[in-house]
Amino acid sequence: MLHIMQPDARPAPDGVLRAMFAARKSVFVDLLKWDVPVIDGAYEVDQFDDAHATYLVLADSEEGHLASARLLPTTRPHILDSFYAGLCEEAPPRGDDVYEITRFCLDRELNARERRAARDTLVTALAGHALSAGIARYTAIAEMPWFQQILAFGWRCRPLGLPQVIGGTMLVALGIEIDADTPAQLAAAGILPSIDIPAARVAA
Amino acid sequence: MGMHLVAMQFIRIVEEVKTVDDLTAAMQAVTDELGFQYFALTHHVDVLAAEGAAIRLHNYPDRWADYYDRNALGVSDPVHRASHVTSVGFCWSRMAEMIPLTAEDRRVLAMGREEGIGEGFTVPAHVPGEARGSCSFASEAGRPIVVDLLPMAQLAGAFAFEGARRLWSQRGHLPKPPSPALTDRQRDCLLWAARGKTDWEISRILGVTEETVARHIKLACARYGVSKRTLLAIRALFDGTLTFTDIFRR
Repeated sequence: MLHIMQPDARPAPDGVLRAMFAARKSVFVDLLKWDVPVIDGAYEVDQFDDAHATYLVLADSEEGHLASARLLPTTRPHILDSFYAGLCEEAPPRGDDVYEITRFCLDRELNARERRAARDTLVTALAGHALSAGIARYTAIAEMPWFQQILAFGWRCRPLGLPQVIGGTMLVALGIEIDADTPAQLAAAGILPSIDIPAARVAA
Repeated sequence: MGMHLVAMQFIRIVEEVKTVDDLTAAMQAVTDELGFQYFALTHHVDVLAAEGAAIRLHNYPDRWADYYDRNALGVSDPVHRASHVTSVGFCWSRMAEMIPLTAEDRRVLAMGREEGIGEGFTVPAHVPGEARGSCSFASEAGRPIVVDLLPMAQLAGAFAFEGARRLWSQRGHLPKPPSPALTDRQRDCLLWAARGKTDWEISRILGVTEETVARHIKLACARYGVSKRTLLAIRALFDGTLTFTDIFRR
């Protein structure tokens, strides 16, 4: 099930969020060795996990984490403008209808086939959420192999500047334009939701 | 014109290409902009055996391309192998630091130089579940490459490969049908086999009989349509059923 947790609709189901923060710790800290804060030795939570963040979380029926992403409003400090503005040829895109996708996280417990299903479902959900929430553009920062995958999703994706090696990793900032054609573009590239997502449950 | 603008112009063109000829023209133009003479956009497979299903677009001299195809270099080309051990673009002169080069590799590289192909820059492109690929740019032998333009070559390579993927998928070749799924138990057995364990050893580890292990592996082979467990392990690694991390994890 897809849980969309928006700033004005708290509190969210506790278990789902907790499982997401734990999965993020497992992926970003344990696996990818990112230098980001960990709370209680179990949860990866940073300064942007505040009342302004939106979360899209794909969970199983027991609130177990499958995949998740965090959206940050670009009208407030976010990762691209706070730490990586140098990746942008011009000023980082900013606006009420521009959100930054961060912490795109696929659970480590999934096998290759499930990862693919969870990934495709979450990507589709990101496009659907943008359309229903009036978001016209996403921004993000990606390492090059992930960037190649993001391109392969078939949606309209553009670099915001040239790739640069930062801290030993080649990164690129990117913008993804979302409009009424996006779902069809994703479908044409074979990106279809394959995990059952009933009507998005918005935590009220 | 700034590098980013040149890259954006190329990206817009690649997004609109409708035919392989359009893409070839765009590649030719961006290759010039990047200060190179040659480009090669390819899946790392035996191109003749793939019969058009694999991406392949280049402007190498005909004689070299023929030799390359006849000898199925797509699968063993040292440039391709090196691109499998990195996620970002690399200069060919660095290859010896990346992978062990055999005598045959050195012969192929020397032969490429004789045919007029000098230093090159290769951008790896890997879409999970599909054949690995890359986009290479190369200079005529003796001409230096323009190092300052390599970040742009990196971006151009990523978009060029995706543009080619889109064109080839319209031709009905990509994406591939889903791979055969193994049961968890079949996968467990295969994992230990890939780690070098015998059926007897696997039976001790998993607490089942040796016959059960043999049967799981046999059924897994059947699902992939292969008859040898080595090939089964390779296919499972290729489609992501197994990962190298699984095999080497302690």
